[in-house]
Amino acid sequence: MDDDDFLLRLVLLLVPLSLVSFGGGSSILAGIERGAVGQFGWFDHDEFLSLFAVSRASPGPGTMLATLIGWRLQGWPGAVVATLAVYLPSSVLCYGIHRMTARGRDRRWFRILRTGLAPIGTGLIIAGVVNIVRISGAGPLGLAMSAGSFAVLLVWPGLPLPLLLLGGAVVALML
Amino acid sequence: MQPDAARPSWQQIFLVCFKIGSLSFGGGLSGWIYREFVEVNRWVGDEEFTATLALCQILPGANVINLVICLGEDLAGPAGALGAFVGFLIGPVLGVIGLYVLIHRLGDATMLSVGLSGVAYVAIGLLMLICWRGLRLSMRTPAVLPVIAAVVVMVSGFGIPILATVLVMAPVSIALAIRSSRRDG
Repeated sequence: MDDDDFLLRLVLLLVPLSLVSFGGGSSILAGIERGAVGQFGWFDHDEFLSLFAVSRASPGPGTMLATLIGWRLQGWPGAVVATLAVYLPSSVLCYGIHRMTARGRDRRWFRILRTGLAPIGTGLIIAGVVNIVRISGAGPLGLAMSAGSFAVLLVWPGLPLPLLLLGGAVVALML
Repeated sequence: MQPDAARPSWQQIFLVCFKIGSLSFGGGLSGWIYREFVEVNRWVGDEEFTATLALCQILPGANVINLVICLGEDLAGPAGALGAFVGFLIGPVLGVIGLYVLIHRLGDATMLSVGLSGVAYVAIGLLMLICWRGLRLSMRTPAVLPVIAAVVVMVSGFGIPILATVLVMAPVSIALAIRSSRRDG
């Protein structure tokens, strides 16, 4: 497959996901996993998991995973194309709607749409968690670490995340 | 709080977004954007910020990117929106690739794989927290729990593409929201 094919497939995978990423970037994790691992076989489970880990340990919104995938496949052009493919469509949509509705936003419809779309976003993020746990092959230990970080963040929301993620690496290496 | 500063140029918006994007870890960034745009620089009023954030949360896409684009447009037109978009993303793009390169220079492959799986497990815990908050919000309207369950089963259980899942379930969910809003008057 030549370079253009990779880039084209990446764009065709990410653009539709961008437009349905209700609830933020994390909601399309399952879709990216399905495409990059299952459909196209670009990465094995281990590598996808480490890309996911790196993307989560970096600053920025929840979809930097796409940038990293583009970079791994096609270097800098891949990174730029993937970033634009995942952020530009939703951004243009938001920009357009924001401009069109600048006057007289109907608060009732606002509320209805928010109430209606929130569970879609939540469901998608849960599906992403299920899929990433599935491919991680996490044993009881891995699940315990996830549950542990969940519990720690629940009681201590202000905890610096890089610290917690680094802790995860240390614990995994020691056990 | 009312805006009282002069309108910023797109370059100023670019710089503020670059700062927030580069130093932001693990989400929850709308709080930081609020601080910079409303409290520190006083470019935007409280109410305007809240209304804009609501729109950005409804629409697809990373909420924070949507938010800085809308604020950028309001403050400095299309150039402001573009400056916000590019400024916000430059840091994270360089950061994620830099981090990948860095840690693959540091350790051997086996150690890295183990260490990164540890990072991934912790990150999964973080996502679980986002799910938990979403679930708790949804508890207010119990009718939506089956919607959440259906989305999970369709995507993770049957492997139905996200696009198809959303096209089917979003109208259902919005219809439920309309019905419950009518019932509430």
